[in-house]
Amino acid sequence: MTRQFALPITVFVFSLLALPLLLSALWVKVVTSAVIFSLAAAGISVLFAQLGLINLAQVALIGLGGWVALRLNYGTAIPFTVIVFMAGTTTALIGAILALPALRMRGLYLALVTLMAAGAFQILFNAFQFPNGGSGFWGVAQQSAAEIRLPLLANSDVAYLRYTIVIVALCFCLVAMHRITAPGRAWAMIRQSEANAMAAGVNVTFYKIWAFVLSGFMAGVAGGLLSGALGQLDARSFLAADGILLFALAVVGGVYSWLGALIAGLLFKLLPAVFNNIGLSADLAMVLFGAALLHAIITAPRGIAGQLLVAFSRKSP
Amino acid sequence: MICIDNLSVNYGGVVALNSLTLNITEDVVGLIGPNGAGKTTMTNAFSGFAPIASGKIVIDDMNLLELPAYKRARWGLARSFQKVQIVNDLRVQDHLLAVIDAKGIDRKKRVWWIDKVLDFVGIADCRDTLGAELNSYRKRMTEIAKCLIGNPKVILLDEPGGGLSESEMQHLRSIISNTKTVFGAQIIMVDHDIDLIRDVCESTAVLDFGKLIAFGPTSEVLQDEAVKVAYLGR
Ligand SMILES: Nc1ncnc2c1ncn2[C@@H]1O[C@H](COP(=O)(O)OP(=O)(O)OP(=O)(O)O)[C@@H](O)[C@H]1O
Ligand SMILES: [Mg+2]
Repeated sequence: MTRQFALPITVFVFSLLALPLLLSALWVKVVTSAVIFSLAAAGISVLFAQLGLINLAQVALIGLGGWVALRLNYGTAIPFTVIVFMAGTTTALIGAILALPALRMRGLYLALVTLMAAGAFQILFNAFQFPNGGSGFWGVAQQSAAEIRLPLLANSDVAYLRYTIVIVALCFCLVAMHRITAPGRAWAMIRQSEANAMAAGVNVTFYKIWAFVLSGFMAGVAGGLLSGALGQLDARSFLAADGILLFALAVVGGVYSWLGALIAGLLFKLLPAVFNNIGLSADLAMVLFGAALLHAIITAPRGIAGQLLVAFSRKSP
Repeated sequence: MICIDNLSVNYGGVVALNSLTLNITEDVVGLIGPNGAGKTTMTNAFSGFAPIASGKIVIDDMNLLELPAYKRARWGLARSFQKVQIVNDLRVQDHLLAVIDAKGIDRKKRVWWIDKVLDFVGIADCRDTLGAELNSYRKRMTEIAKCLIGNPKVILLDEPGGGLSESEMQHLRSIISNTKTVFGAQIIMVDHDIDLIRDVCESTAVLDFGKLIAFGPTSEVLQDEAVKVAYLGR
């Protein structure tokens, strides 16, 4: 039992205390984004690992959460942390709507539906942009973005990274709690077969929707955190294609553990930046991702995290 | 008392159950018939997984078919499947907890129920074993244990004896025979093993091509000429 917690706690404490001190100003920002995308990847993993459902709209949902957060940030005096929570719940509700097709279809067909939803969001983001302090409901002005409020304790980049790490860790705990309690058991029964679950009395519809709600919540919180990290959001950051990439990287990282989601976020945001930094094209990262995906599908169904965790459990007595 | 009234199930052009009428009062009833006769279809009709064309299933004045499938478990219907439904990465205990959650059983009684059903089926030692690590007998026992949680009214067992050894069969017999006394549930059991049916079922119904061709005390039914022709091939 204790060993199970050793790795996550070590990673948490290290990244909270030491990591921000080791990074230069530029990398603090990149790592903050990477951790935020890990949270969204964890949502993808819940759906895929627990129910085998493919959600390609997660990046679009991050954008939605970001939009809600900016809207509330400019339009109200609600504290930042509450705004992040509200962005999460709003997105969770939209996630529940995405769940409706999932009640009838799965596999490729569901993937296509979520992809089309992501495409629709991409068009909406392009048409309406993100609030930047302008007037009216859409809040867009032809000006550079106005300042947004940040959490009181997180007014520097380093402090905001720490703030992000704490919130993301809390959300990871939320997922872990789900896995070991009633929803996790219900999802396991559904994964075996829906008839099996219903025969045991599991309300299949409710628990499928609940998985989308949880996943959408995490995308929304990620969007809220991202709005604070960047100060303004750009419609070009939430393309439908990025939703496919994040899904692929969640599989590469490993959908069965928090570590896999973390790896997915790092691959998604950190690796291209590292390549840029050492003078390689960021497109090279794509080639690498493609190879890694093949590797994951063919030889490592539990992803990089699965391989690391096996190595870790062999080493420790 | 279980009253199946004029129940028909069609899969496209296939009539899987043809106006089945059957009143069951006995504690353990067998359901036999050749492959494709409609036995699994009948259990699926109880569970809400079969396309009902007409008819009713009334148990204790309640028409089961009016309930959504998942609510039937909470009402008191339990079943096992012809193909065992054990989740590989879930411990035995968690299989039982899933049923306990779904039936809304008081948290304080959880451990009591888990102890009770695992003791009854005799696999108390595998409480923490993962589904993947169970042998086929223990998988079957886990399925039966799941069925017993929360004192159901009716338990449907679809070929519980499939692939068990002789000594394991002996154990299964005693479990099925004691269920009514310990848990109060009526059992409808589908099986191809005539010895098992003869030993534990007071009455037996025989299906052929979706039609009921015989029903009555097991020993009489097994002597019935029509049954011998349809089923025993003699
Ligand atoms: N889901 C389904 N879709 C279409 N046809 C079905 C379906 N399930 C059963 N059938 C058909 O209904 C008939 C009865 O099948 P059922 O599975 O009830 O037989 P059974 O008595 O359980 O046979 P067995 O002893 O082989 O288990 C068969 O003709 C079968 O092909
Ligand atoms: Mg069958």
